[in-house]
Amino acid sequence: TVMQVSVINTVDTSHEDMIHDAQMDYYGTRLATCSSDRTVKIFDVRNGGQILVADLRGHEGPVWQVAWAHPMYGNILASCSYDRKVIVWKEENGSWDKMYEYTGHESSMNSVCWGPYDFGLILACGSSDGAISLLTFTGEQQWDVKKISNAHTIGCNAVSWAPAVVPGSLVDQPSGQKPNYVKRFVSGGCDNLVKLWKEEDGQWKEDQKLEAHSDWVRDVGWAPSIGLPTSTIASCSQDGRVFIWTCEDPTGNTWTPKLLHKFVDVVWHVSWSITGNILAVSGGDNKVTLWKESMDGQWACISDVSKGQGAVSSITDTQQSEQ
Amino acid sequence: MKLKEINRTAIQSWSPSQQHPIYLATGTSAQQLDASFSTNACLEIFELDLADTSLDMKSCGTFSSSHRFHKLVWSPHGMDGAGHPNGVLIAGGENGDVILYDPAKIMAGDDDVIITQSDKHTGPVRALDVNPFQANLVASAGNESEIYIWDLNNFGSPMTPGPKTQPLEDISCVAWNRQVQHILASASPSGRASVWDLRKNDLIIKVSDHSNRMHCSGLAWNPEVATQLVLSSEDDRMPVIQMWDLRFATSPLKILENHTRGVLAMDWSLADPELLLSCGKDNRILCWNPNTAEVLYELPTSTQWCFDIKWCPRNPAVLSAAAFDGNIGIYSIMGGSSQAQNQRQADQITNSFGNMDPFGTGQALPPLQMPQAPCPAPPAMVNPLKKPPKWIRRPVGASFAFGGKLVTLDNAPSNPQQPAKHVVHVSQVVTETAFLERSDLLQATLSNGNFVDFCQEKIAAAQDGFERTVWSFLKVNFDSDVRGQYLDLLGYKKEELALKVLKKHLKFKMFVSGPVDLGLGEELDQELEEGEDVDLGDEEDFNLEEEEEEEILLQEVGCTNWCLYLDVDGLITQALLTGDFEGAVDLCILDNRMADSIILAIAGGSELLEKTQKKYFSKTHTKLTKLISAVVMKDWTDILTSCDLANWKEPLAAVMTYARPDEFSAFCDLLGGRLEVSQDAVLQAQASLCYICAGNVEKVVSCWTRAQAGYSPPLPPGTSSPSLDLVEKVVVLRRAVEQARRGGAAPTASSVLLEEMMGQYAGLLASQGSLATALAYLSGSTNQVGPARRPEVQPRGLAQGCWRSRCVIEINNLWRSVVVGPQNGWNDPPALNRAGTKKKGLENYTPPAPITAPIMGPPGSDPQAQPMSPVSLQGSMDPGQGAFQGPFSGRQQLPPSSGGHPAMPQTSVEGPPGAPTGDHIQPMQSIPAEKILKKPIPEEHVVLKTTFEGVIQKCLAVASDPQTKRKLDDASKRLEALYDKLREQSLSPAIVGGLHNIARSIESRAYTDGLNIHTHIVSSSNFSETSAFMPVLKVVLTQANKLGV
Repeated sequence: TVMQVSVINTVDTSHEDMIHDAQMDYYGTRLATCSSDRTVKIFDVRNGGQILVADLRGHEGPVWQVAWAHPMYGNILASCSYDRKVIVWKEENGSWDKMYEYTGHESSMNSVCWGPYDFGLILACGSSDGAISLLTFTGEQQWDVKKISNAHTIGCNAVSWAPAVVPGSLVDQPSGQKPNYVKRFVSGGCDNLVKLWKEEDGQWKEDQKLEAHSDWVRDVGWAPSIGLPTSTIASCSQDGRVFIWTCEDPTGNTWTPKLLHKFVDVVWHVSWSITGNILAVSGGDNKVTLWKESMDGQWACISDVSKGQGAVSSITDTQQSEQ
Repeated sequence: MKLKEINRTAIQSWSPSQQHPIYLATGTSAQQLDASFSTNACLEIFELDLADTSLDMKSCGTFSSSHRFHKLVWSPHGMDGAGHPNGVLIAGGENGDVILYDPAKIMAGDDDVIITQSDKHTGPVRALDVNPFQANLVASAGNESEIYIWDLNNFGSPMTPGPKTQPLEDISCVAWNRQVQHILASASPSGRASVWDLRKNDLIIKVSDHSNRMHCSGLAWNPEVATQLVLSSEDDRMPVIQMWDLRFATSPLKILENHTRGVLAMDWSLADPELLLSCGKDNRILCWNPNTAEVLYELPTSTQWCFDIKWCPRNPAVLSAAAFDGNIGIYSIMGGSSQAQNQRQADQITNSFGNMDPFGTGQALPPLQMPQAPCPAPPAMVNPLKKPPKWIRRPVGASFAFGGKLVTLDNAPSNPQQPAKHVVHVSQVVTETAFLERSDLLQATLSNGNFVDFCQEKIAAAQDGFERTVWSFLKVNFDSDVRGQYLDLLGYKKEELALKVLKKHLKFKMFVSGPVDLGLGEELDQELEEGEDVDLGDEEDFNLEEEEEEEILLQEVGCTNWCLYLDVDGLITQALLTGDFEGAVDLCILDNRMADSIILAIAGGSELLEKTQKKYFSKTHTKLTKLISAVVMKDWTDILTSCDLANWKEPLAAVMTYARPDEFSAFCDLLGGRLEVSQDAVLQAQASLCYICAGNVEKVVSCWTRAQAGYSPPLPPGTSSPSLDLVEKVVVLRRAVEQARRGGAAPTASSVLLEEMMGQYAGLLASQGSLATALAYLSGSTNQVGPARRPEVQPRGLAQGCWRSRCVIEINNLWRSVVVGPQNGWNDPPALNRAGTKKKGLENYTPPAPITAPIMGPPGSDPQAQPMSPVSLQGSMDPGQGAFQGPFSGRQQLPPSSGGHPAMPQTSVEGPPGAPTGDHIQPMQSIPAEKILKKPIPEEHVVLKTTFEGVIQKCLAVASDPQTKRKLDDASKRLEALYDKLREQSLSPAIVGGLHNIARSIESRAYTDGLNIHTHIVSSSNFSETSAFMPVLKVVLTQANKLGV
């Protein structure tokens, strides 16, 4: 595959310490960043520009992640921090303010992820205290909180929602029946586990426990659905491994791991492209690689990315086959 | 937070970082006896299984030992090779032994677990350390200044680091440097530390503050700075940790003071050099930043001294601490709930009674309340580490965003001299370069209209004959004489036929009436006499070669049964097909088909009829009745429905020639339809040619899609799903149809299939960052979403273009999910409607609005795009709901794209970046403008209305302040939304059930219960389904509760 990765904009965030996350909004017009300097910043990056729209101060510790809510609910951003807080920020009349502050955990808040818009405004948050909270906006400044205790011993590092679409619903749905819109998400933690959670009768239950990593699971990413009857999850770990988990079983019980690659260093982050066909893998030593599944189901590294610029992959075939 | 607990008085060692799963080895501690005075000892290995939430550690193996232990270390030696899969455990015994154990064998339950041992030390071995660079090198130390370096590969002859220090003293600690592998440090209770260089085999520096009050209990090197080490003192008079830098070894660099009694052990985290653990006789476990001497964390721990503390090498947040009260605790430095732990303990105690009714009293035990710990109680909320540990600070990250963008963090300094610049790169990722090039070419063609060239290139590049034919057919659409060209392609060239007729004519003349001088010259006459084919010379390009070429062309087309050329019937047919009446009549006469000739002549005009009639008497008649009657009667349906499909081109050609423009398409479709359902795959493929002639885009698409499906089943993620081949053809054909029918005739219906294809194509374009183009296709596509389309809630001030192209992906994502029933009204309805249509099948199919400008229409120009559902109408009438007006006004604000061609990006329409967006979360409360034509509320639900209205009335009667009254009035009105939903019966049973529960609780005045049920409904239901009325209901319940009605 001929592949091009070219920098179209470089935003100097002026953060005073390490940036931990940067996320574009739904349209790709605004960029939110967060940093160990305790701030969250929002930039307008249209047309290659970089206009600072907001400098959000409210956290008392490093801010680990930011997440944009679906725009049907307005311009809403969630951030989570080492200060054990999750803050939901909202733009109202051009200015950004706190919409909600959640302090229900006893340790660092490591990950935030908004659920599919079909479920309303619902935010999953994972914490170093091992618990996961689900915050649901119920209207009139009210948030309903559900908490999964002991989700991951010593800490949850990442949460990622399943798409609202039930995979393969076109294939198997009896006609006229309402689709089975089950709320599901995946989490990864310091117990080396990837866990799937499912809401049943208003209660969150552990659905699956996926074991393959031999060290902390640093990140998980549920691939966007493209309507095929397969669910796909990527997980990456301190052990340098990235696994692609797939489930073709309509009941969602059988998940098969496939080793994408074993890196030498820790792998911190995985991110699916919007169409779910490319996986960006961010590892230690600032190494970013892009991976694509070939027609025969093999994952191949299609590009190395350094400072946003693509280069021919240095991961050779022999390295890829190494398990 | 305590994770695990082991009830042992023991020293401990974690398995090395390479080892998975994580083990903890414990060895019975020397110099400690319990009340049994037993001197038995054992070595045990436990597994740390964090997936198991109980406090127990799983024991993996035990070995009884004759000695007790002072020190235990675990080397990864042998793990990479076959030797020792779990490494080597090295124990320092109380009687001077250094013993090597194989942990794999301990865990396997083998007897021969001791690899080897040595009693070289004269006294107890108190200190051991494994070299971090060479796992086979272990330093040991004991009494009388003895230090040995053991090579596990050559255990018999240990080395010494240099001459013994004088005076002879006990050595309590040894530690290898973390940066320089040949540097070793040792320390003694006397307070002195010595640093050895193994290359020089000598002591290189002594570290002492000369206070004589430092009694070294611990020694650790800085993991990052080679010259720094810490020493801890167990003397209660000087309970400090000293940090030394060997570059200034005259006095300590820093003194870490916080312990109130002597420090018993230390461990410096390798995962974060800013974390140093220490435990002391003051019962405390502290975590320091040794660089700032600040206490970052105090573990909420035991009531007893801890004498040994260790970071887990593999799991950086985990530590173990061994206490004199006979417990080893495993803790997380990251804090967390100790409450859950207490509960766990309580459960354990309860469980140990076997069941909840241990005394058979018939009454279960009450849940056990844990008594408060007698010690300075650990606060319920433990503050976490003041500083985030290094291992949770994510330094990198690349995330995808819409439009094939990749956002990459860059925290590294661009050059090492400069401070780090914290920048974010936004990159465009293009994976389908070839795809984009072709897409661009197609776009260019669409805008410059040069379709003939485009098709010509495709013909030239075609890989197979059928592909070439299809493109030839498509190209014809852009020629002036469309039907003539089609005939040409089908193998009927008018001019050539005229010559063939002539030739046949001549042959017949010769045959029937003898040689005739036709004035063509002697040469020709000669040839005719010889009965051979006629070469009419250069000026008349008519020869066998030509015929062969035609044959080839037709074979390519896929027709094998084509043999009209050489017999009379064939010629007559051809003549008829091409409208050559005179020739046909002549041939008929020659062949004695008089009736045919006359009938033909009638159709051919009065002049011809007259001529034919003259010949009629001398000749006879023949068959071909069908074709003739069709031609004469101008009725083609019969032929088209009954002809042999193998010769499908004949009827098609006939239709080309004779059919009126208004029936032409229908005839082509008819034939195409027959071909399509035929058994022969080749014929099925030909159907598309008929459809091209008919200009039936929809059928062409379905035909081609089916053909494609034959060799490409559902595509896996990661392939470019919509076939660009197909898109190109469809786009060209649509344009052709549009051109041909400009003037409003016979509009083409769009379809689910076509839209899906275009949507996919647009989605792929968008994913590659080609937003403008994607948008052009989308606008063609989404204009056709059907009658019940709901509004999109769209924040103002954002680029319309981005919005819409993003929709494509949403649409495609939702596309295959069958969404039935009320939805949020954002973005999903297109999928909903189309999916619904698809399901119902053709009998219920309501053709969508015609595409008058297939893909070229400016978005928003189609009136179909803005049907409003009643709900949205009400919503936009509510003055507080301005946001809902967004999508409509937004759509209409779109400028009519100039020239209407699709290459015009819509993205230029952008609002100001910070424009207000309105409050989109506000539910769609509605105050109906009129209440006409409302269905009654189903009888079983009337009680809901009466109850809710009843309680509102009761509240109103009691409420005193006008604000509350207003609220209640408003609520009463707003609840209409609920009643409407009840009328429509559009609420899910779960919600209706919940509402009845609320009603019941209102009846019994249990408003708090009602509120709880309310919360449950809201949290468990679809937000959009309940958002219109649930907040109102909450207001009512709250007010009722407050007013106590």
